Amino acid sequence: MSDMSDRHGFDDFDGSGDGPPGGEFPADDWDCGLLEEELRQAAAILDPVPAGLRGIAVDAFALRDLDARVAELTFDSLVDGIPVRGESDPPRMLTFQADAVTVDVEVTEDGLIGQLLPPGPARIEVLSGPREYARLTADDLGRFTGEAPPSGPFALRLRTGREVVVTEWLRA
Amino acid sequence: MDRAEVGALVQSAADGDAAAWKSLVDGLGPLVWSVARSHGLSDADAHEVYQTAWFRFAQHLGRIREPEKTGSWLASTARHECLKLLRASKRWTPTDDPQLLDRPSDDRTPEESVLDSEEAAAQTERVRMLWQEFESLGERCRQLLRVLISSPPPSYQEVSAALGIAVGSIGPMRQRCLRRLRARLEARGTTS
Repeated sequence: MSDMSDRHGFDDFDGSGDGPPGGEFPADDWDCGLLEEELRQAAAILDPVPAGLRGIAVDAFALRDLDARVAELTFDSLVDGIPVRGESDPPRMLTFQADAVTVDVEVTEDGLIGQLLPPGPARIEVLSGPREYARLTADDLGRFTGEAPPSGPFALRLRTGREVVVTEWLRA
Repeated sequence: MDRAEVGALVQSAADGDAAAWKSLVDGLGPLVWSVARSHGLSDADAHEVYQTAWFRFAQHLGRIREPEKTGSWLASTARHECLKLLRASKRWTPTDDPQLLDRPSDDRTPEESVLDSEEAAAQTERVRMLWQEFESLGERCRQLLRVLISSPPPSYQEVSAALGIAVGSIGPMRQRCLRRLRARLEARGTTS
């Protein structure tokens, strides 16, 4: 975990060396593949994808949103923040960006506070998976507040006068 | 899953084909799940990582630059979420005890319960023993093998994305880990 280096990003992968793990191996390795296959079957029995979870992924097809612009996470206090000494449960600060639109969100146990930039009114849906959501409104200064999102991944879909922006899914 | 097949399914799904999406969930879901499991997260956290990866993929559907590399994209997304959750749990619960983090889940899956009732007791015993020895391997081996044994077998690119290790080191590590597992089974007198 902690000793796992983080320097290989997705873009580092090229097409070389791709191939099934069961491909070319030295002769001595013959039963290596057998053991791996046996282990694969054991995993399928003892640690499969839970059925309910598979169902959620199937339903997630409804989340494709080809018209909205995705606001990517550009700041996350969990990753980029400096812990405040003495504060055991600091608020989670998130910043999402899609071109000129910025959404700042602060999540605490008590609720969610946000700021849309450039400032302006917007209708906001809090998405919690494919089905449930809550509705919020950003005032003329782009400020909005709401209840803390439920556990699990969430996203915000913001409709300003001009466009629809949806924040990248993440866990609060 | 074959890259060309994945690329075609992603394209179809982006065009609105729900069956193609379902095929992607079945073909790549076990890989995403294995990434969450290999990082030693709690059950609840593993569930959230899996969901986050699929929600994000749905969100980016039609915007993925290289659809044929979707397996790596999902694996890499899941890995980053795992690392984030591990960091968060470390901050909130100041335990750095690897024993605690490595502890296998006590929850019994429905499949395990079914297994109990099956007649093939010897087979069941073999599977259980194999799994037990697998879980008592060192962290690196457990992590690598858990991803490698997802079904269908992932490509080395996908394993690399799942664990942040170089493609070239996967083959040798795999062999070493499987040898180690075999040695453990032999020590118990249970080679097949």
